Amino acid sequence: MELNLLLKIIALVGAVVVGVVALVALRAEWKKTALEDHVTKIMMVLLALGCAEVILVAFGVWGRT
Amino acid sequence: MATHVYVPSDAEYEEVRGQRLLGFLFFLISDCVIFGDFIFSYLYLRNASPVWPPPGIERPYLYLAAVNSIVLFGSGATMHYAMEGMRHARLRQFVWFTVATIVLGSMFLGGQAYEYTHLHDTWSGSTFGASFFTLTGLHGFHVFIGVIFLITVLIQTLRGTYTQQRHFGLTAATLYWHFVDVIWVALFFLFYIY
Repeated sequence: MELNLLLKIIALVGAVVVGVVALVALRAEWKKTALEDHVTKIMMVLLALGCAEVILVAFGVWGRT
Repeated sequence: MATHVYVPSDAEYEEVRGQRLLGFLFFLISDCVIFGDFIFSYLYLRNASPVWPPPGIERPYLYLAAVNSIVLFGSGATMHYAMEGMRHARLRQFVWFTVATIVLGSMFLGGQAYEYTHLHDTWSGSTFGASFFTLTGLHGFHVFIGVIFLITVLIQTLRGTYTQQRHFGLTAATLYWHFVDVIWVALFFLFYIY
């Protein structure tokens, strides 16, 4: 299998898994009100955003090789 | 001679914990400012150049960086569940997820080292190389410190330093690790996509 394709598949599968985990964690944290919980929520949103970036790269929508 | 260790009451601990947390968040904000300075310098250089990257300079390999990014983002998820383990007094969960985070963080550093040795540019070779190595190097240094931080809190936990109720060191380590993760979201976009 071509290396580019293999790396794309790994990145895509990883991004979907981590993205879903980040969103599930965000949902679980949602009602917590301590200061560190609010920070964690922001971090989880940004983590999900990072996964979205990688998904777009894997589909070839973003990025130049 | 007997030594006496002062153990603060729960109320005292909570008060001090709040101050420590605020102090740690100010540290993270100051770190954000440092990265922000370098990022704006990069954007200035990028916009001042008619062609980017400068002629003759190749962009780093996108798909390797994408996989490396997922390794780092995955470590953010494992760190979150390690912390959840401590919050619910599940020591085994904490230990295994922290070990997974340390392994993933080290893999990210390995991937970055591989990328550095295979990139056709140097720190002093071009404005792109200078920006790339400065920013990703600074970030890699943060990841390295984070790995040391996690190994330290893991050993402390195994020695019984932290409990379900009192574990500020772990909270700080988790926040630091998440911070390192989300900085990479910005750097990945800037150097590999934008």
